[in-house]
Amino acid sequence: MINLLRAEWIKLRTVRMNWVLGNIAIVFPLVVTLLTAYFRGDDTGFNGLNTQDLVSTLTGTTVVCSLLCGVIAAAAITSEFGFGTIRPTFAATPRRLRVLVAKGVVTLLTTTAIGATVIAIGWFGGSSIARSRGASIELSTVDTAVPAMVGAIVLVAVMSLAGYGLGLLMRSTPAAVATLIVWPLIAEGLIGGLLGLITGKKNLSSWMPFQAGLRMVFVDRFAEGPSRLAGGAVFAGVALLLVALGSLAVSRRDA
Amino acid sequence: MITVGDLTKRFGSKLAVDHLGFEVRPGVVTGFLGPNGSGKSTTMRCMLELDRAESGTTLFDGRRFRDLDQPLHQVGALLDAGYVHPGRSGRNHLRWLAASNGLPRRRVDEVLELVGLTSVAGARVRTYSLGMKQRLGLAGVLLGDPTTVILDEPANGLDPEGIRWIRDVLTHLASQGRTVLVSSHQLSEIALMAHDLIVIGQGRLLEQGTVAEFVERHAERWVRVQSPGIFELQQPLEQHGATIEVIDDTTWHVRGSDSRTIGELAAARSVVLYELSPQTGSLEDAFLQVTAAAQEYRSGHVDGGA
Repeated sequence: MINLLRAEWIKLRTVRMNWVLGNIAIVFPLVVTLLTAYFRGDDTGFNGLNTQDLVSTLTGTTVVCSLLCGVIAAAAITSEFGFGTIRPTFAATPRRLRVLVAKGVVTLLTTTAIGATVIAIGWFGGSSIARSRGASIELSTVDTAVPAMVGAIVLVAVMSLAGYGLGLLMRSTPAAVATLIVWPLIAEGLIGGLLGLITGKKNLSSWMPFQAGLRMVFVDRFAEGPSRLAGGAVFAGVALLLVALGSLAVSRRDA
Repeated sequence: MITVGDLTKRFGSKLAVDHLGFEVRPGVVTGFLGPNGSGKSTTMRCMLELDRAESGTTLFDGRRFRDLDQPLHQVGALLDAGYVHPGRSGRNHLRWLAASNGLPRRRVDEVLELVGLTSVAGARVRTYSLGMKQRLGLAGVLLGDPTTVILDEPANGLDPEGIRWIRDVLTHLASQGRTVLVSSHQLSEIALMAHDLIVIGQGRLLEQGTVAEFVERHAERWVRVQSPGIFELQQPLEQHGATIEVIDDTTWHVRGSDSRTIGELAAARSVVLYELSPQTGSLEDAFLQVTAAAQEYRSGHVDGGA
């Protein structure tokens, strides 16, 4: 398995697009968070920055990071089918599940590291900048701050799992990436709203996979819908199901 | 040794490989021939378990492909030189392949040197010509120093020097006792490098044997006769049931008779012969003869002029 992990790591890091997406995934949330800390850090009035605002900005922008990590994970497998490299891959390792596990592990660890980097630099950099500008930033004052930041890292990991699962099932980069973007941003809202109309229950959309997963990154507490843990579990369960079904399909189909 | 037994593969309603069975022995290059759509590539993919066969088994030195722990040491395969990520360098392509089977990095540099790609190893594959991709693919085949080599159209896109090089490589590998199976549409190349032959059509085995036997059995034979008094031979040859194809005023191609008979007829009439040589058709002739009924796609005749 170590050999396969090494092989998949070489594959992942030797494609320029992964570096481009990975860098954007790190830079975008950091730029927004650090600029927010700088420009709102010296405002002591109504718009003044507090700990909750800083953490919300950081975890909120990490959602974009998670989407990009999902794209990296999806492309890690769809590009194999697109360029035909899945055939030399399986010709070098006929036990397909071992390849898929190795690829999944390498992708998951890489994207989780990206998420952790964003949160670590975002929090320590953002809080330092805001404090230097006069804002009062203390982690201990908001009890949901740490869970939200850990949740943001988990969201990145789960999103990459979902992307990987979609890639395994669809085999096509455009199809998998489109689904990955359209589903959370458009489809869930529409389907949740429609189900709400039919059943008369207003909060159904908050149980949709991505919306449920988003609960992990929120600093606010919710009176209705899934808790942080339950929401994360729903999204992770769906992502794992996608990976399981996709792996099964790839194992059985012609390569 | 490769042993293929009762291999069957269907795509929807189309039977691509139909209970195909053959053996490929070590020590010689074996050509794998068939018309377009005859199932050669599908057979190779099924042998490597990339396509799921409905039935049948393929054994490499007695073992199924899926049971090989590090297959690059046993089976090196090049199914399509295009199966490379265009954004990755040639060296990195070989590095992940080597890593997957626990091969050291220095082996990558060795095979790059062997195929003559060292100077462009760091360039992205999208900048490679088809011939360079074929060389890169062959480098991947050689990575694990395998006992069995399977190549699908390896000479595609190669220039004459490249074609000769690949022929030399394959015959050298076979001479070392390896099992070499190579499919190609370049029958002249197969005739030069292969000793054994497997011919399939519409997914079924049509012939298996040596190239020499195949040509002997299926290619047309005739005698080329050249003489200043050649027309004196017309009547006696026709009386012997021979047919004559006139090439020019002094040269004929005679079918239905052998050179000994023709020589004796000429001697009896004191006809001077400049040439009396038995001719045999090419591998291409024999191939077209055998596969005539199994052609999936047929070309129309091209008439001269527009």
